[in-house]
Amino acid sequence: MNCARCLLRLQSLGFLAPSVRASVQNAALLKPATALSLITVHNTCGQALRRFHGSPGCYKSQPVPTNPGEEHEDRIKKDKSLITHDDLFERVAREAKTKATFNRVVDVFRKRDIRRRGHVEFIYAALKKMPEFGVERDLTVYNKLLDVFPKEVFVPRNFIQRMFNHYPRQQECGVQLLEQMENYGIMPNVESKVLIVQIFGDKSHPMRKYQRIMYWFPKFKHANPFPVPLQLPEDPVDLARLSLNRIANDLDAKVTVYQMPCTDISESGEEITFPHVVGIQSPDQMELLAKHNPNRPVFVEGPFPLWLRKICVYYYILRADPLPPEEKVEEPYDPERCFDYPLQLDLDLDRDMGDDDSFDVEDVDEGPVFAMCMTSQGDQATLNQWISGLQETNPILGRVPTLFRLEAGPRELQGVADPDHVYREEGEEETETQTEVEPDIVVEEEHQRSQGVKQ
Amino acid sequence: MNINRLIALSKSVKCGKTLLTSNVRDVAKEVTVTHRAFRTHARNLAYAKDLFLGKMNKAECFPYPEIGKEELEEINSFVAPVEKFFTEEVDSKRIDHEAKIPPETLNGLKELGLFGIQVPEEYGGLGLSNTMYARLGEIISLDGSIAVTLAAHQAIGLKGILIAGSEEQKAKYLPKLASGEHVAAFCLTEPGSGSDAASIQTKATLSEDRKTYLLNGSKIWISNGGFADLMTVFARTEVVGEDGVKKDKISAFIVERAFGGITSGKPEDKLGIRGSNTCEVSFDNCPVPVENVIGEVGGGFKVAMNILNSGRFSMGSAGSGMIKKLIEMTAEYAGSRKQFGKNLSEFGMIQEKFAVMAQNAFVMESMAYLTAGMMDRPGVPDCSLEAAMVKVFSSEGGWICVSEALQVLGGLGYTKNYPYERYLRDCRILLIFEGTNEILRMYIALTGMQYAGKILTGKIKEMKKGNVGMALEMLGRKLGDALGRKVDLGLTGRDGVVHPALATIVEEQLILKRVADVLINLYAMTAVLSRSSRSISIGLRNHDHEVLLANTFCTDAFFKNNYWITQLQRNSPENQDENIKKIAREVLEKRAYICSHPLDRTF
Repeated sequence: MNCARCLLRLQSLGFLAPSVRASVQNAALLKPATALSLITVHNTCGQALRRFHGSPGCYKSQPVPTNPGEEHEDRIKKDKSLITHDDLFERVAREAKTKATFNRVVDVFRKRDIRRRGHVEFIYAALKKMPEFGVERDLTVYNKLLDVFPKEVFVPRNFIQRMFNHYPRQQECGVQLLEQMENYGIMPNVESKVLIVQIFGDKSHPMRKYQRIMYWFPKFKHANPFPVPLQLPEDPVDLARLSLNRIANDLDAKVTVYQMPCTDISESGEEITFPHVVGIQSPDQMELLAKHNPNRPVFVEGPFPLWLRKICVYYYILRADPLPPEEKVEEPYDPERCFDYPLQLDLDLDRDMGDDDSFDVEDVDEGPVFAMCMTSQGDQATLNQWISGLQETNPILGRVPTLFRLEAGPRELQGVADPDHVYREEGEEETETQTEVEPDIVVEEEHQRSQGVKQ
Repeated sequence: MNINRLIALSKSVKCGKTLLTSNVRDVAKEVTVTHRAFRTHARNLAYAKDLFLGKMNKAECFPYPEIGKEELEEINSFVAPVEKFFTEEVDSKRIDHEAKIPPETLNGLKELGLFGIQVPEEYGGLGLSNTMYARLGEIISLDGSIAVTLAAHQAIGLKGILIAGSEEQKAKYLPKLASGEHVAAFCLTEPGSGSDAASIQTKATLSEDRKTYLLNGSKIWISNGGFADLMTVFARTEVVGEDGVKKDKISAFIVERAFGGITSGKPEDKLGIRGSNTCEVSFDNCPVPVENVIGEVGGGFKVAMNILNSGRFSMGSAGSGMIKKLIEMTAEYAGSRKQFGKNLSEFGMIQEKFAVMAQNAFVMESMAYLTAGMMDRPGVPDCSLEAAMVKVFSSEGGWICVSEALQVLGGLGYTKNYPYERYLRDCRILLIFEGTNEILRMYIALTGMQYAGKILTGKIKEMKKGNVGMALEMLGRKLGDALGRKVDLGLTGRDGVVHPALATIVEEQLILKRVADVLINLYAMTAVLSRSSRSISIGLRNHDHEVLLANTFCTDAFFKNNYWITQLQRNSPENQDENIKKIAREVLEKRAYICSHPLDRTF
């Protein structure tokens, strides 16, 4: 092992001088190079050298920060080596952070030097910048990054090289790239495979990583029986439609839009916004509601959270308390019910000892849920609109007292834009559900599921 | 699963009867009285129900029922003109094509008296027995549309008046119905209900003067609904129960079209039996006089059940009549068509088809006439279980045979140049109407279990009361079981008694289906054995062929039964119920076939 390291060190020392020169040239090429940047270039090389001697675990344990602010601090504190490449991206990004600009940066790097000096650093930097440019889920970009590696140089040529970790830093970098793909759920394709074989050979670590990904990813691709679409609808009404169908999980359930979102200008000149109100109800629920005893109230409860990828939406339910046991009427068996066969055998059976099966712990009675709705504004006035809309199809609601048991919760639909905000809300919501007497099971499930799904 | 126990019951209860007799011998005089009572009730116990107790009530089935010489001559004198009429005057192809039975054909049928086969002679009908009705059914079935039209008229349409009507009603309506001047229809099914009486919505409300009922509602799939002059209609009426509470109960009414307020919908365009008329009938404040209630007010359920149960047995003879005709036609083709220098009839796979057809026709015929004969015996034997078995067996056998016959002709059979496709379409309805086969299987299994269960629970009670004879008998049976039985089916509880889990057996349809299938096969085996042993002993022509058919069928049925019984064991590898249910559940959850396409990829 030592022997190999020495060899490697020698090799890289040999590269040191030219790489400095190259960096300077690069800097000059792109933008006017300052003295400061020259210094940092020197630093880069020194850093790289140290890294090279360090254990390979070093890179692996270092997380790829996705938060831009954090990253900035990181860069200042320790990772000075990457400044040039980060700068490269920063400078381009001043115009716009898009796939095109990202590709341009990669192209610039590739054309700069036929030997691709500093490509490992460049790739690390690029990987970090990908989410910023919105290309973290783009397979072609990953392939393009892989293409930055020089070909055939790192392929072991004899058994000794094959036995030891040949070009460990490059291999690690390749693995890191694949790992990032894995984290974003991107499956490599044949092009990636060809590239990896060209760069590292067919028994290398990146190749192994590739093979593992290709083994597991297809297996897990359809593991979720309730997949959330990758692209969630932008329109809140469509989103509500989707989420309600997801919660109800009943093919018969019908979604009704009770109110489309719109803004109106009242006579006094004020702008009034009408929130959207979208509800869902299945024929079974209608039947249940029709049978509901009008003397017992029904409750409008909520908001309950539902996570769809990075979006959290809230819904409200119309429910009743479970029937007290004394009010439960079992429909008596009518022997004249079926023309063709007895629906029940009326055998005069006696109970034997131990035959009493009336006590069953697992059956916990829960109140029926009659309907669900989603709205962007969960105040009583809006929800009342929903109830009156429901009343058209469920006339019984006119006779049943309806109680609103609304928790003080978020009134606004949470967007993707602000992840911090979403997480805060989530925490809040959790405490709320805990205080509730009967946490809705559906909610809990949805919650866990959407968090559990690997993005 | 414990339901299986019921079946095992049948085995274990074999000693039931012996027990009774031994009691009689050992114990006191009063027991003798019960014994006698048992005997007098024996008429009500038909063969099939006793099979559920593991008893072969041989007296019911052996010897095979016969009819007298005069009766035979009489029926033959009826059969000849009917046969002539059907071969010469009935143009089935035209009926099927035009979806209408021409009036002259209908008139011919009326002249032959076929509209009142079972109506007693005093009311102007032919007054034939069930056996003779079955014999005529063989010929009538040569045209599906006519058979269904006639069956809707007399097997169900006027049956209500015949079995539950008052003398006045009979005298008023039967003569015209028997002559065919009036055609009857049976109106039970509604858009929301098939077998479910609770969803019958048609209402009959008593008028102020309590002299008429006003009928409101609509009925669907009414055979003859377009032109029937008289209908047996079932509707809800308000009845004050014994406890003084008002309840909605079903009553049966005789409704004349002339009462007014009746409209018929457009005839349905059907797959088969296209010449028969099926349509919706709606009643709008149709006034029905109170005296037109069949039976008593609120007693419609029993009437409906009796009508439905009594009409089914004839399907066996109808099916066999059709298959016999098909065998003739197909054999002609197979004997003349050459392939590779050989007749079609020399190929094994073609031969097999003919064997299947002959065997099915033989079994159906045997079952149908055995059942008809049992029904014709004095007393009021309850043969509804047997009738249902005949219906299930013959409708399914008929479907297979017609399909095989068509297959012999290959592509030719598929064209409209030959009648096979029409037979195929016509006979598909047999599996559906008069109670679908699924419903009838439930009926067979549950009625039998109900019967067996009642007797057995009675026995347990006896034993608990400390009846020594009963206990001894149980002990004896246990010993017998230990020595005799090879496989423990795990069907019975301690002492081989009915398990309390029976209460939920109604939900175990897959098990019930197998129980019913086993029983149907048992009954079919009994029928062929009984028939062929009679044939041997009186030396009928070709009785050796009958014996051959009987042997083949019984061996086959024996193995099938064994397999089904093995499937009934809870943990046997043959029992796939859990998987079957799971597959269905997963498919039904998504309401679609959920497998990925074989060409799909994940990467």
